[in-house]
Amino acid sequence: MKQLLLFLTVGSLFWIAACKPDKQNDITTDIPVTEQQVLDDFANVIVNPNYQDLQQKANELRLAVVTLNASCINSNLYAAQSAWRAIRVPWEQSEGFLFGPVEDYNYDPATDSWPVNTIELDSLIASNNTLTLADIDSLQDALRGYHPIEYLLFGVGGSRDASELSVRKLQYLVSLTENLYNVVTQLRNDWDPNQPNNFTAQLVTAGQGSVRFATRKDAFLTIVGAMEHICNEVANAKMEDPLVALDSSIVESQYAHNATSDFTNNIVGLQNVYMGTYGSGSGHCLHDLVVAKSTSLDNDIKSQISICIAGLLNIDTNYGLAIYTQQGQIFAAQQQINILHDKLDLLKQFVETNITD
Amino acid sequence: MNRILIASLIFVAIVALSQCRKAEPFDETQYDERMSGGTQTAFDGTSHSFSHVFTGISEYDVALHGAGDAGFEQSFITAPATRNSGLGPAYNNVSCSNCHHNDGIGIPTAGDAQSSLLIRISVPGIDGHGGAMPVPGYGTQVQDKAVFGKLPEAKVNITYINHSYSFADGETYELREPFYSLTELYTPINGNYMLSPRLAPPVFGLGLLEAIPEADIIALADISDANHDGISGKPNYVWNPYKERKELGRFGLKLNTSSILVQVAAAYNNDIGITSYVFKNETSQGQPNQSDGINDDPEITDSILNAVKFYMQTLQVPARRNVTDAQVIKGKQIFKEAKCTSCHHADFTTEVNVAFPALSNQRIHPYTDMLLHDMGPGLADNRPDFDADGNEWRTSPLWGVGLFEAVNYPAYYLHDGRARTLTEAIMWHGGEAQQSKEYVEQLSKADRDALIKFLRSL
Repeated sequence: MKQLLLFLTVGSLFWIAACKPDKQNDITTDIPVTEQQVLDDFANVIVNPNYQDLQQKANELRLAVVTLNASCINSNLYAAQSAWRAIRVPWEQSEGFLFGPVEDYNYDPATDSWPVNTIELDSLIASNNTLTLADIDSLQDALRGYHPIEYLLFGVGGSRDASELSVRKLQYLVSLTENLYNVVTQLRNDWDPNQPNNFTAQLVTAGQGSVRFATRKDAFLTIVGAMEHICNEVANAKMEDPLVALDSSIVESQYAHNATSDFTNNIVGLQNVYMGTYGSGSGHCLHDLVVAKSTSLDNDIKSQISICIAGLLNIDTNYGLAIYTQQGQIFAAQQQINILHDKLDLLKQFVETNITD
Repeated sequence: MNRILIASLIFVAIVALSQCRKAEPFDETQYDERMSGGTQTAFDGTSHSFSHVFTGISEYDVALHGAGDAGFEQSFITAPATRNSGLGPAYNNVSCSNCHHNDGIGIPTAGDAQSSLLIRISVPGIDGHGGAMPVPGYGTQVQDKAVFGKLPEAKVNITYINHSYSFADGETYELREPFYSLTELYTPINGNYMLSPRLAPPVFGLGLLEAIPEADIIALADISDANHDGISGKPNYVWNPYKERKELGRFGLKLNTSSILVQVAAAYNNDIGITSYVFKNETSQGQPNQSDGINDDPEITDSILNAVKFYMQTLQVPARRNVTDAQVIKGKQIFKEAKCTSCHHADFTTEVNVAFPALSNQRIHPYTDMLLHDMGPGLADNRPDFDADGNEWRTSPLWGVGLFEAVNYPAYYLHDGRARTLTEAIMWHGGEAQQSKEYVEQLSKADRDALIKFLRSL
């Protein structure tokens, strides 16, 4: 009997010792990177360089259109089209953090509204109305920004030839790209640490006098909330709406057939935020905070981001066609992005639990 | 024996029944005062704090809310188009969210793509239902934009003059007085007309406000100030064009709309130029050369209108913050001592609704009495709207007011966004609130700061 008790006791001890808490809650070490460092680098390594890049690409687009206007030949048209595709990369990546000035001053709808109001745009071009920058500045959102520029540069079906660009269309393009450059510059300036009343100062002083963020936790919840928002936007609006309606006329970037690239860059933008990178720069980031507390959550998020990007790359025809011919790939990518959204919910819980000031 | 038995049974019954008590509400201290929207309270202090869907609703209802959210965001374009068709011909903006940014307040400008201030217009007199008398060729709202080939009805001009004032302790503050005028009228207006500016307000918590029992609102009314406290409180009875009857006004800055459905449908119609099953005709119908001549009404489907209505019905209320902070508690006491609570009524309980438990029997803290008050000549628009006279405005709900800067920066306050800070908003109060304003004027700097900190906790 004593031997049996001894066996059970020893066995129980081994069994208990073998039990491990859920990896998600596994505390591996103290957080070596401070929350302040992460906020500082979020602003200085990701957001500001991203918006600087956006401003530079807007300038390149503007200059390409000026060249096209001076000499309307196909090589200049293709250069302008390339410049349009190039600016979509930093813009869509910046949608990984759609908060602050971009939402305060509605820079997003002012530059990235679709579908284009083609009826009104065509009427405007066919009219004798002036098409100066001031005229374009006062137009409704669906008549200015990335997508009206895209409509004119690529045409329906993406088969634009330079010979189709009338003087009026070129005039409109010149003013449109000027308007876009000005709006993007304003967005960049609103974050620029060297400008008065910049938003960077609001973010990095979260919990220390910031008007916008009463606590650091609020700042982190805003960042994670923006990551969740773009997941939801991509999977359940940008991809879902044309798929459900089977309507390619409501696909984002439909004229340049750039939608899948847009979606992918949205997720890359989210990845930039999590991993603290933009271009060649890198800094302290959410990943550092998470990995110090829960390697399993960190691995889950990183691998799920990669799965989402791979899933989007599986859609290998233009999205307007894919909604008819590659629904399986679309469903799979949507599902993975929604799973990423759920992982980010856990990240939000992580912030709630671990960031207390 | 039988009599003894019967007497015993009666005695036992009386004793037993005497133990029965009607359920009483908890003592005030037993409630968690962070829960501004009852169980429909969102714990989020970020820029999306006004955008949370109700909890405890079905998966179908969550999807319906999502569809409404998409409708709320969707920009309309010129007809005829395959999708989102029907903008204008005359309009103020192209989507709901362009005015109600992040489901919050708008920007007090007019004429720009992101402008969120509109101008109501009327001539003296009342219409067939007791409402404002439309201006021939304009109706009751100035649409300051138009689709290609049509004319904006007018250009809205806004100018400000700054005035400096001092608190009793010498600290100065500035109020900017707005002036509104119309130029570039597309067709002349004969005679005098009245203008009333309206800034897009937040849209969360509307379902809960709609569910407050009418009797509880009326119980707070004191039209003739019978209790002589200087505060009246008047309900506005307004025309519901869908139900074709008069009802208690609950929404709009002068409480001129009785239901969320009519509020949403009217905004589609007046602000964006979209017809629906509630408002079947364009606002420009019958106006000289302003009709689009397209037979496409209703321009939104019933299901989209209903989904957007449901979206606005099911947005949670943000939780209060820092409720145990000593300065906030002090500020709350000052708010009461200044008699702000006479109009900014903190507590209501929504009616029991077995069909929609998420809205049912919720103890909420909107800080409004849902009534009209004379706010003095400084804020007066001098334009009647049903039973609201030219000095009267609704008591603005204060829930969420402390998050305006987080959700919509820079924040603006009052019916036309003239106030740039909470202090300015307080100091614009007059009329029935004159005594409260004067009370605040005499406060020490420390007490004023506490009062503001309390408001920022809402």
